[in-house]
Amino acid sequence: MKEKWRFLKTKDNTATSNMAIDRAVLGANSEGKSPPTVRFFTWSPPAISIGYFQSLEEEVDLKMCEKTGVDYVRRITGGGAVFHESELTYSIVIPEAHPQIPKNIMDSYARICGAVIKGLKNLGIKSNYVPINDIIANGKKISGNAQTRKMETVLQHGTIITDVDVDKMFSLLKVPNEKIKDKLIADVKQRVTSLKHILGREITYNDAVKAMKKGFEKEFNVELVEGELTLYEKDLAMKFEKEIFSSKKWNHKR
Amino acid sequence: MKSKSIYKVPNGKLIKIFLDYDEKNHIINNINITGDFFAYPEEAIKKMEIALKNTKLEKDTLIEKIKNIIQDNQVEFIGLNADGLTDGIMMCIK
Repeated sequence: MKEKWRFLKTKDNTATSNMAIDRAVLGANSEGKSPPTVRFFTWSPPAISIGYFQSLEEEVDLKMCEKTGVDYVRRITGGGAVFHESELTYSIVIPEAHPQIPKNIMDSYARICGAVIKGLKNLGIKSNYVPINDIIANGKKISGNAQTRKMETVLQHGTIITDVDVDKMFSLLKVPNEKIKDKLIADVKQRVTSLKHILGREITYNDAVKAMKKGFEKEFNVELVEGELTLYEKDLAMKFEKEIFSSKKWNHKR
Repeated sequence: MKSKSIYKVPNGKLIKIFLDYDEKNHIINNINITGDFFAYPEEAIKKMEIALKNTKLEKDTLIEKIKNIIQDNQVEFIGLNADGLTDGIMMCIK
């Protein structure tokens, strides 16, 4: 019989809530209180997340965020700034010692990205993993991924870009050199793609999630059983949201 | 004196170093290592920043010190390494 993991669809959440849920599931799983979990979610309002080591003010135009109603949050994972608007986001939480998870960090990125690649295949999109943390289709990035390991537990989250507005993204992100901003925008337009662009049509949230769910099930040879956050996780998430992810101390720490 | 560098690590990520240093003696007063790299455990970067205080801004000294910190704290970098970090820091002093 196939191993059963929990499957969560939490749909729209604020940036701080999304990051707090990931952290809460990580905590609960590390304590043996929750099973391995795959979650799919979106962001409302749209938000920028920055990598754990990035400087908020260096990367993000906070005034523009405020003006346009875009949230921002620091992640617990490394990597770069991401504008989350038209995308499906996943996260997976699983013990480091689980036999499906390679001990080597780079190998485990490739393995988890393998699930996303299988999900994209279900949508008719051929893609492949490109180290360090990208998935590309038709030579362009369609997914970015970031992993942390804490308390002997792995959390990896990543994006599946459903549509992309590079101009809007760069109105919110700062660039190292304003003089080359136009060129940078043109470069990114060349280097990033989306489900909509490749398929030539909009894809619904439910269809995208269904394809991705099957991808994870196939990659890890498990059954994903739809569930909910436990009360313990909800309480933890509320605590982390209030004490960490909404706090100036956390978001401005670098 | 305060300085900043932006450095793309070869085959790696973009690091931005904020450095406050003693111009006369070329000693680090304070350093902030930022960027889109990965480090495991993440808390090791804070330890690295603290340990680098009062270090001489000299390539060989820095690289040895950084390698020691990596070893002592069992840090695993992805998209960054001791050479890249050293070069990024050295770029702060013109």
